[in-house]
Amino acid sequence: MTSSLNTPAVTLEKIKTRAPSMRGFLALLVVLIAAIPLLFVLFSSGKLSLEQWTNLWSNRLPELLGNTLSLAVLVAIGSMFLGVSAAWWITRRDFAYRRLAIWLMVLPLTIPTYVFAHIYTIMLEQDGWLGQLWLFLFPGTSIPEIFNIFGVTLVLVLAGFSYVFLLVRDALSRSQQDVEEAARIHGATPWQVFWRVNLPMLRPAIAAGIALVVLHVLSDFGAVSMLRYQTFTLSIYLQMSSRFDYQAAAGLSLVLVTLSLTFMVLERFFRNRQRYYGSGQSKKITAQKATLFETIAIWLWLGLIATFAFLLPLAWMISWSWQAWQQDLIDTEFWGYVGNSFTVSALAATLTVIAALPVALYHARERSAVSQGFLYLSNVGFVLPGPVIALGILSFVIATMPAIYGGMTVLALAMMVRFLPLSIQAQESAIQQLTPSIEQAARSLGANWYENLRRVILPILKGGMATAWVLVFIDTLKELPATLLLRPTGFDTLPVRIWIEASEEMLELAAPAALMLVLGTMPVLWILMKSSKPN
Amino acid sequence: MKSGVSLLVLASLLISQYVQAASLVVYSGRKDKFIKPVVAEFTKETGIKVLLHSGSSTSLLNKLKLEGSNSKADLFISNDAGNLEKGKEMNLFSPVSDSVAASIPQKLRASDNSWIGLSARARVLVKNTNDKSVEFVNSVFDLADPRLKGKLGITHSGNESYIAGVTVYMESMGKEKTSKWLAGMKANIDGKVFNKHSKIVKAVATGKRSVGLVNHYYIYRHLKKNPKAPIKIVLPDQGKNDIGVAWNVAGVAITKESKNKKDAERFIAFVTSEKGQSLFAKVNSEYPAREGVAAAPEVPKAGSYKVAPVAMPVLGQKRNATLDLIEAVGMP
Repeated sequence: MTSSLNTPAVTLEKIKTRAPSMRGFLALLVVLIAAIPLLFVLFSSGKLSLEQWTNLWSNRLPELLGNTLSLAVLVAIGSMFLGVSAAWWITRRDFAYRRLAIWLMVLPLTIPTYVFAHIYTIMLEQDGWLGQLWLFLFPGTSIPEIFNIFGVTLVLVLAGFSYVFLLVRDALSRSQQDVEEAARIHGATPWQVFWRVNLPMLRPAIAAGIALVVLHVLSDFGAVSMLRYQTFTLSIYLQMSSRFDYQAAAGLSLVLVTLSLTFMVLERFFRNRQRYYGSGQSKKITAQKATLFETIAIWLWLGLIATFAFLLPLAWMISWSWQAWQQDLIDTEFWGYVGNSFTVSALAATLTVIAALPVALYHARERSAVSQGFLYLSNVGFVLPGPVIALGILSFVIATMPAIYGGMTVLALAMMVRFLPLSIQAQESAIQQLTPSIEQAARSLGANWYENLRRVILPILKGGMATAWVLVFIDTLKELPATLLLRPTGFDTLPVRIWIEASEEMLELAAPAALMLVLGTMPVLWILMKSSKPN
Repeated sequence: MKSGVSLLVLASLLISQYVQAASLVVYSGRKDKFIKPVVAEFTKETGIKVLLHSGSSTSLLNKLKLEGSNSKADLFISNDAGNLEKGKEMNLFSPVSDSVAASIPQKLRASDNSWIGLSARARVLVKNTNDKSVEFVNSVFDLADPRLKGKLGITHSGNESYIAGVTVYMESMGKEKTSKWLAGMKANIDGKVFNKHSKIVKAVATGKRSVGLVNHYYIYRHLKKNPKAPIKIVLPDQGKNDIGVAWNVAGVAITKESKNKKDAERFIAFVTSEKGQSLFAKVNSEYPAREGVAAAPEVPKAGSYKVAPVAMPVLGQKRNATLDLIEAVGMP
């Protein structure tokens, strides 16, 4: 008390340095909103008694940990295998229809995991496409089962390997040739070069890709609940829904958060240690012309991946949508779902991009422990499963501002919390280009804050914001668990309809909705690919 | 950014209009295709518009609980008496007047009319008629017999009908025997459970499995599409000292926070009327809850067989105990 009275100068100075920090305040606001679900989890699990904790600990945790971790490892290995091999061929060999191949490796991102799970379940039935093929090829045997860890792995790898592909392709096309040449001169075989030169240099990209895939595995709700594989996320959901036990759900969430955070910190640690700095003069890699044999081999491999990850599901969707079309099942109601989906996705994407701006800007300027802390806190959406985020937001809104409950605002808010990390990451690199001197120059030329924002900051950030918008749009379009709980009354989106129709086994109705998701995501994906074209 | 804001305003306007257009909001855990014809007929008769909010019964009940006084729902429809009784326990419903409730037998509604049963389903066995090795199975408890290894089809233990069935057996036979029974079935399913009842029936019809535990109407649904399928229904536990068939009801409740209880009660009056009952139950080959309304002709007549004497509210009261039992055995 007295000290603050005695040192007015210091206080003034403090105010001075903080005065321009409107963005600091805005960043704080955004981060506080993003942290609501985490606070909810901490608060609710704090109410668990010691006995309840030990119960959870001994009854549920060993099995859940085992299931979740082994799934994460299998999916990581599978995605790495598909993603790295595809990226390698596509950047290192120049073959016929290479652009098409790139597209085929990215398009699986348009299909949500629950759609993959649903389609493969149906296709592997006795009268399904793959079931029939299997029985034709191996008569007398039984069709492989999808309701187990391998089935879930298959679905999550197909749905997620594209992240590894994109990141590794980016790294490969930026990597430089001289190191490889040096290794070759010293007598290394191409295989040795791959294992001992390329792979270590790719480690950061692979790690980042796998991190993305594993975080998706940890928080996946759609596939594991359709295939009944007990991971943390599914168990949390069952705990809260069938027993109305929100505290135990929060307790399990807390363990999951710890798990995800440990994983993120580890990943960051390894990535930082493995940075490779090339010299500015070194030669960029150029793709070698592929021989005929290579072209065939490459297309066999990529074709196999594309068939299972995109073409087959797409064909299935089209075939059943055609049935629906012929039965006149695609009516105004259906177009209503389409409209709802696109409206809420556009809304959420806009909101999330705007919200990410102050957090990213603040960190770019400050680089302090506080701004770093903000950045970590904004990651809540990545580490908490969708149902828990929805539960946290719902409880908070009802307790503090019930007036806005029931509208689309709450839904958009939850989407913002879920996808804020995505948006921040996409904007971070653009923000780094925005050095303080540029802003200072603008200010010294008499620009006020608004002009500065409109004519200096926004133009520089435009690219990053566009990417962020597209990414959030796609993910909101596919989002299921939070939408299920928070959508306004009677407000059905495409994922909600897919969920309902799939549980009622109305294939004719689930298929067109899934197809609309794919078609609707394609244009935005195209924008994304355009803006991130390497070289 | 401006466009973002205007989009937001426009969207919230659209939504608020959307909600106002309906005068009754129904949270429905029943399949859309079964509830839509009923709702359409109700609107035609009364002029009252209805907004359906579909989902799974359990998650809709969660939503209702979390929303509290902010809920827009007027009615809650569930496929499972367990959920309805749970909602009553959590004080989410408002009792229906006696005059409306009276058309449904006492044993198919809540003790204080908090919820009203609308249609009943029976837990039965489906057998493949070609497989003579399963002829000995006449009780659900026979499903634990080691002779059925690899021949049994059941759903995963998250299924509401499955949980309700286990509750009935637990109430009738005690925890110990039920727990042993579950363990026996676990050994027989070879690690595979089905995510849908319809798939069990299909697996039995195609010979992948020989016997399954399902709700009765799934058998008729399959037979409608494949009249020649080699399957038959077996009503289990009909012997003199046996427990009888487990029943469960789908039902409806008026939410406590409904601002439109009068119209909500009119809806219940409609679905419990003879016409409404016939519409509600027949689309799914279920038993109408109201006495004197006939079930679909293919279904074994209610009253012609023995039903386990477990009151419907017990399905909610004992649900957590059942879940504990199932989890302790480790049923998938």
